[in-house]
Amino acid sequence: MADLIKVTINGNVYETEKGARLIDVCREHGHAVPSFCYYSDLALQASCRMCLVRIEKMPKLQTSCTITCTDGMIVTTESEEIEKAQRAMVEFLLANHPLDCPVCDRGGECELQEMVFDWGGLEERFSERKNYAPEKFLSPMVANDPQRCILCKRCTRVCDEWMGEDAIEAGGRGAHTVIGTYDGWLNCSECGNCIEVCPTGTLLDATYRHQARPWELAQTITTCTFCSDGCQLSLGARVGEVMRAVARDRYVDGINGEFLCIKGRFAHPFINHEERIRTPLIRYKQGGRLVPATWDDAIGYTAARMRAIGEAHGADAFGIIGSPRLTNEANYALLKFAREVIGTENFTASDAFSLAPCFENLSAPLATHRDIRFAKTIILVGGEPEELQPLTGKQIRQAVRNGGARLVIFNSVPIRLKEQAAQFIHINPGTEDAVVLALAGANDDELAAGKLGVEAKTLADVRRALDETQGDCVLLFGSELSAAAMATLAQLPQLLGAREGRRFLLHPLPFYNNSVGAHDIGLMNAKLSVAQLLDQAGQGLRALYIAGSLLPEHLRGREETLRQLDLIVVQELFETETTALADVVFPAASFAETDGTFTNNAGQVQRVRQSIPPVHQARPDWMITAALASALNADFGFQLSASAVFREIAEHIAAYEGLRYPLLKDESRPVQAKHALAGARDMTGAIQEIRARIQSMNVTSARPTETPKVGHELFKPGTLTSKTPQFPLLYAGNPKPPTVLVSPLYQITVDANLRATTVAAGD
Amino acid sequence: MSIISDVIESTKAIIKGMGVTFSYIPKEKWTVEYPDEPVTVQPRYRGQHLLHVDEHGREKCVACFLCAAACPSDCIYIIAADDPRSPEERIGVDERYAKVYNIDYGRCIFCGFCVEACPKDAITHGYNFELSVYNRADLLKTKDDLLITKQKQSPNYRVAFADEDVDSEYKEV
Repeated sequence: MADLIKVTINGNVYETEKGARLIDVCREHGHAVPSFCYYSDLALQASCRMCLVRIEKMPKLQTSCTITCTDGMIVTTESEEIEKAQRAMVEFLLANHPLDCPVCDRGGECELQEMVFDWGGLEERFSERKNYAPEKFLSPMVANDPQRCILCKRCTRVCDEWMGEDAIEAGGRGAHTVIGTYDGWLNCSECGNCIEVCPTGTLLDATYRHQARPWELAQTITTCTFCSDGCQLSLGARVGEVMRAVARDRYVDGINGEFLCIKGRFAHPFINHEERIRTPLIRYKQGGRLVPATWDDAIGYTAARMRAIGEAHGADAFGIIGSPRLTNEANYALLKFAREVIGTENFTASDAFSLAPCFENLSAPLATHRDIRFAKTIILVGGEPEELQPLTGKQIRQAVRNGGARLVIFNSVPIRLKEQAAQFIHINPGTEDAVVLALAGANDDELAAGKLGVEAKTLADVRRALDETQGDCVLLFGSELSAAAMATLAQLPQLLGAREGRRFLLHPLPFYNNSVGAHDIGLMNAKLSVAQLLDQAGQGLRALYIAGSLLPEHLRGREETLRQLDLIVVQELFETETTALADVVFPAASFAETDGTFTNNAGQVQRVRQSIPPVHQARPDWMITAALASALNADFGFQLSASAVFREIAEHIAAYEGLRYPLLKDESRPVQAKHALAGARDMTGAIQEIRARIQSMNVTSARPTETPKVGHELFKPGTLTSKTPQFPLLYAGNPKPPTVLVSPLYQITVDANLRATTVAAGD
Repeated sequence: MSIISDVIESTKAIIKGMGVTFSYIPKEKWTVEYPDEPVTVQPRYRGQHLLHVDEHGREKCVACFLCAAACPSDCIYIIAADDPRSPEERIGVDERYAKVYNIDYGRCIFCGFCVEACPKDAITHGYNFELSVYNRADLLKTKDDLLITKQKQSPNYRVAFADEDVDSEYKEV
């Protein structure tokens, strides 16, 4: 416990921790101090001058956002003098601010509007002409109205400190200062965090531009469906249409604060997209067309076909494939369907790689994103979190920049995070396993260093850094590790031994929103992997029941064999390469239309809530599975309630024991699943395996020397993200349009090969 | 009682009643012969709403939703849309306009809050009062019914002049 000091605010004496910021202490104790530029997670600015307070023995009024409390400080936050100063400040801020609240998208949730309600005058005394600048676009995602800016510089600080991009900056001087970009066009990761923190309507979401007013939207707190970080966001919906996704403090307070990446913030239009599958579809004849059908027909048809196949070929003729994109409830229903209705162990999930070796040997807790932010040493083996897990990337960046953490990166690609790294170790492609071998002990340094293409001394340095760490040490690893290496890394905390003052934490970097959940439910540690299961097609396997779509790497080259199957049932949102093979397609509900839970890469089980009723005839995945089970005379007893499914999960899955929906209600206190910690295991076998694997490795030392382009993964138009028209534009290189006054969407067309062509505005 | 007194009493009552009737014959008539004659409405009369346009014919409404927010009976429904064209070509005066603007006259209570809330003077109450329809669904009026350039004005009303004493003819009664 830090030292306590006494501070007097408005005559009341409060005890507070030494080093606390005055504005926080005032607000904590209910003394409202207004401010625009203060943002607790960012560097100090003190440019809005709204948080003025009188401190005894200090000349003039002081900005409370820059003052650190000292013992015996006597502070006044409310007096005639202070109010006069604050009212004058608001008047100055409004001197150049246009009165266009009716057209402004921020109107109704604008901090300036709220401040003017409290501190503004009734009349405007400035009669001079206001600075005028036309509204324009900074990028396909960010719209900008420069005259609404009050120069709090939250956007520039966020861009620099959170994203490390410095894409947006203030230029000019005095009354002519404007927030702008280099070259007049925003070439960044388009996270939109500048939009989120803007207290006025200066920076606006271009995808939600002029769509609705905030008070018309029903905000629903839910979990993002894109990467494995599980950011909490709030979906704004109106009459069955999701209009926007925000993480603003006033709507949601999750693990990510106000942070979201481009996908979380802008990739929601797929939910109400016109290409969503509307009704169940049946392909009655091999090679025929998918014909719309009613739910009763589709379920009945599927059940009859399944029954026939079961009678002819037995239970093991079925394969059931869940998805790391679905809720835990949906995956659990599939598992239950496989075991209880079909009676087979042929189930798996269509994830890119399995985390089973990590969780089986887990010897340290999983690091939450907060742990990463305050870690002392961070080791990143492979992966590219700033593109694939943006929140983890941001936390690592802040841990280094604001927390002084030591970041060591092992990667074959010079990823962007290397700017923050104390040590970037450029290794040969495909040799990530050797890193684990080197971290586990010094015996194999010669071999590891040789294959990695680095000096043995470098590896010794990293081990010494691990030894000397005081505080948290987070080990992050990407998809590149082999199963044995993943197991060894998970055991590393045991291998290195416990020491006072040092805590090891693990943080896997899977690709999908519920990769960890799919593992926890038990789909990933099944007897067969997806590839093995699909390879049985045409031999033992006669029917497949797939939720979601198969990954391209699993599907490619297997289309012909899969076409020979008797029955393929697919639950999907859109028509994909997988539904092209299907005999029956069920329209599934997206994450915005269903209740459930996702488990993120920190093991936190977070709620997914229904924001809009399912579009068209879609149904939540677990309901489809339950309906199919009931057509096969098996009652799951879920009775249309996702919470009943989750209760059953909690009863059957040890890591989720005792969890219930009410316990997961508060998004600001996420609940971590209790993954069992394995004690020290004998890893010599695994290490031997890695050693053999490395020895036989034929290393080419052609390492990419160029840092990959921003957004090479983030902007990739996938099944869901391509439904936002801006994504193909960004992936085509985000070209600057002829005029920035009109959205680039109207000026540039992108063809199927993602080549951009400029067309005249207005065409 | 005899039959004679009955007749006398009845005759008295008829004379008294007809007296009232006949006394009105020479007085000025105030019955409005609607629909043969137009009804005189006050300038501040709250009839069917009008959506206004500016001098270039652009809709004044910027779809700020304040009318819908102020409406106590929740009868205004708006869908806003972005109009990226140049100011001269736009549908409305600003970049945002109301793609859909519906008022449900089955719910409207003609309180005038929407008019008070409008920051752009885009919506006012007009004078059309003949809102009866044969089908309840027809009570939902769209932009085609509400725009001042499109709304057909009834020939059955005249608006009183500002100094005209409209109320007094009723007060005498």
